[in-house]
Amino acid sequence: MKGKRLLLGLMMTASAAASAWAQEAKDITVVLDEEVDLVEPCMATRSNIGRIILQNVSETLTELDVRNNKGLMPRLAESWEEASPGTWRFHLRKDAKFSDGSAFDAGDVKHSIERAMSDKISCESPRYFGDTKLETKVVDDNTIDITATPAQPILPLLMTLVTIVPAETPIEFTREPIGTGPYKLTEWKAGQSITLTRRDDYWGTAPEVTKATYVFRADPSVRAAMVAAGEADIAPLISELDANDAEMDFSYPNSETFYMRLDHSIPPLNDKRVRQALNMALDRDAFIGTLLPKGAIKATAIVPPTTLGWNPDVKVAPYDPEGAKKLLAEAKADGVPVETPITIVGRTNNFPNVVEVLEAAQQMFEEVGFKTKLQMYEVAEFEKQYSKPYPEGRGPLLVAAQHDNARGDPVFSMYFKYDSNGRQSGIANPEVDKMIAEATAATGEKRAAGWKKLIAYLHDDVVADVLLFHMVGFARVNPRIDFTPTIATNSQLQLSEIRFK
Amino acid sequence: MGKKMMRRVVSSFFSLVALVVMVFFLSRLTGDPAALFLPIDATQEMLDQFRELHGLNDPLIQQFGRYVWDVLHLDFGDSIRKARPAIEVVLESFTWTLQLALITIALVTALAITIGSVAAFRPGGLFDRFVSLVSLIGASAPDFWIAIVGIVVFSITLGWVPTSGTGTVWHWILPVAVLFIRPFGLILQVVRGSMLTAFGSAYVKTARAKGVGNRSIIFVHTLRNAMLPVITVVGDQAAAMLNGAVVVETIFGFPGVGKLMIDSILQRDFNVILAAIMVTAIAIFVMNLLIDIAYALLDPRLRT
Repeated sequence: MKGKRLLLGLMMTASAAASAWAQEAKDITVVLDEEVDLVEPCMATRSNIGRIILQNVSETLTELDVRNNKGLMPRLAESWEEASPGTWRFHLRKDAKFSDGSAFDAGDVKHSIERAMSDKISCESPRYFGDTKLETKVVDDNTIDITATPAQPILPLLMTLVTIVPAETPIEFTREPIGTGPYKLTEWKAGQSITLTRRDDYWGTAPEVTKATYVFRADPSVRAAMVAAGEADIAPLISELDANDAEMDFSYPNSETFYMRLDHSIPPLNDKRVRQALNMALDRDAFIGTLLPKGAIKATAIVPPTTLGWNPDVKVAPYDPEGAKKLLAEAKADGVPVETPITIVGRTNNFPNVVEVLEAAQQMFEEVGFKTKLQMYEVAEFEKQYSKPYPEGRGPLLVAAQHDNARGDPVFSMYFKYDSNGRQSGIANPEVDKMIAEATAATGEKRAAGWKKLIAYLHDDVVADVLLFHMVGFARVNPRIDFTPTIATNSQLQLSEIRFK
Repeated sequence: MGKKMMRRVVSSFFSLVALVVMVFFLSRLTGDPAALFLPIDATQEMLDQFRELHGLNDPLIQQFGRYVWDVLHLDFGDSIRKARPAIEVVLESFTWTLQLALITIALVTALAITIGSVAAFRPGGLFDRFVSLVSLIGASAPDFWIAIVGIVVFSITLGWVPTSGTGTVWHWILPVAVLFIRPFGLILQVVRGSMLTAFGSAYVKTARAKGVGNRSIIFVHTLRNAMLPVITVVGDQAAAMLNGAVVVETIFGFPGVGKLMIDSILQRDFNVILAAIMVTAIAIFVMNLLIDIAYALLDPRLRT
């Protein structure tokens, strides 16, 4: 009897404790896939840092809305215009304050840009600016001129990537990010959790979520289990296998495009017919709903369909093994060494089933007569094959990779992937270089048209690579909150967008 | 005894130095942290800047010289990833690992000795057969599987303990339980075997003939002699745990040194790798020293 009572008591204590690790009413817990070891605002374009920092702690001058398709919106800048060629004038909010109580002004913007671009710190932002140099001039407390050399027509869009810190922030990476956002960082237990708390003196509308705790779990089933057990509210990334509850699980385009980069300088890949044959050999439909989730979309460009200038007229190469064989035979007759073994280079853990997907592709290539070999590398080794300078003495390579662009403009992809000097370009085509330069320099309709033309040219005329799929990710959301993951969830998670049911 | 210990300390110091030198050069051969820290489309200029900033452009031997000089001044460098002192990062994680290892090994040892001794007392009996089967299953089941099943059963279905993380005493139950299983099976088998041998030995027979009671035979006469092989296995298991329990740490989101070490290797965060190796090597060395002392205490022949 005594034993029974003890057991009952223990169980009651346990269930009381269980409710203690469930959530407080307006507090939420977000479970991320890896430890966030830096919360430096200038690194906020890195996805997990962005999910914590971007627009929650640190805001940007402008904001790109992909959720409601509103395009570029004001944030810390109320409006902007091109004051003179290459120079943009931003009119700043007057009522914003940093979480340390100091007022936000043009000096902070100046310092933030200089800091992010400094060579004394390795921020992420400069990569979006390429060779563009920025100069800032404070006009008055609430007005700043930013001059880009060469002129940058999408400078206001690029400003969505520069987080604003107070002018007093030192150049080195900070561990105490101060921002103008609706939340401030209140606790950071290294390796365990990061907590943001709602600010009372935020300039905008007060969000519903009062406190957000971010925890890190490497195992996808544990992340899913945490939401199921009520210990967490959002797991932005779970595996397709764990996404088995229609009430809690969402699939969303994760802005990644999976493709195989072809090295056009090495035979037989220097022959267009061979590149076409590779594209025709693949039964893309066979992957969707089997090795890859149902929501994956066949790709015709390296950027997802939500991007400016995306071209709906470009059609995916049809699955045509006979046609591929014919093209290969023609190429062979012209002396192209089509029997040279081609190495497919993949990255381990790039996405679920990556090995199986590449093995299936390999099988399809071999069925039409290619000789292939599959080589999987971990990320550092893979990187050596993926970025220039490419290894000396390499044979023909198909480098299978994912490229992420949720930024709304192909400029973040096209130079790197297709310009002759692009670090991950497999081609050197003066016509392509010219088209990239033109589209990059253009604005409005002309810019969209430029990208549209380039997308068609790369796909149909150059047959630059084997484009495969726009991928989907899976997220689990606790039914007590009202939040739908979108393509933006891959890089930010605005707490102010979360409501309670 | 003192002389022997001193010799041990000196030889361990040289092993540690050799280990650090080896790891320093081997880790630097594995690749460039710049390519991993910076985004995949970073420009060459950004890569060069990063290498310059972290002294990776200097010749290897110069980097090594600087490292040794800094370590002699107790500066273990900064973590590239975390932008804070590497030793601080490592000690933080190591504290977690140490707690996890101490709790688990204490539980394992206490339970394995008790149950193993009882099982050995009547070899082939029902209890003995049951214990052997359970320990065999325990020693062979994979950690990650037990961990996931544990979460599904005890966290999701029953809601008794949290799935993962740290914070309350309840958070320790699943990780300790998972970590417990394998060494428990192993140590229990050693205790049982060792006790069986002891029970069959001449001095136990003599004691029995003299009419000494069972309890006294187990706890006074046998246990002490049977403990020597057990201490060796407990020591091995504890050393393995001090090195970090990667699977358990990864699944339960426990910020231990095992996961830190694996992550740092994958990220080529050299200073953290080196600091972690130094800290765990010293811990394992101290543990071995404690085992030597325990040996000496139990076996007077070793106290010379």
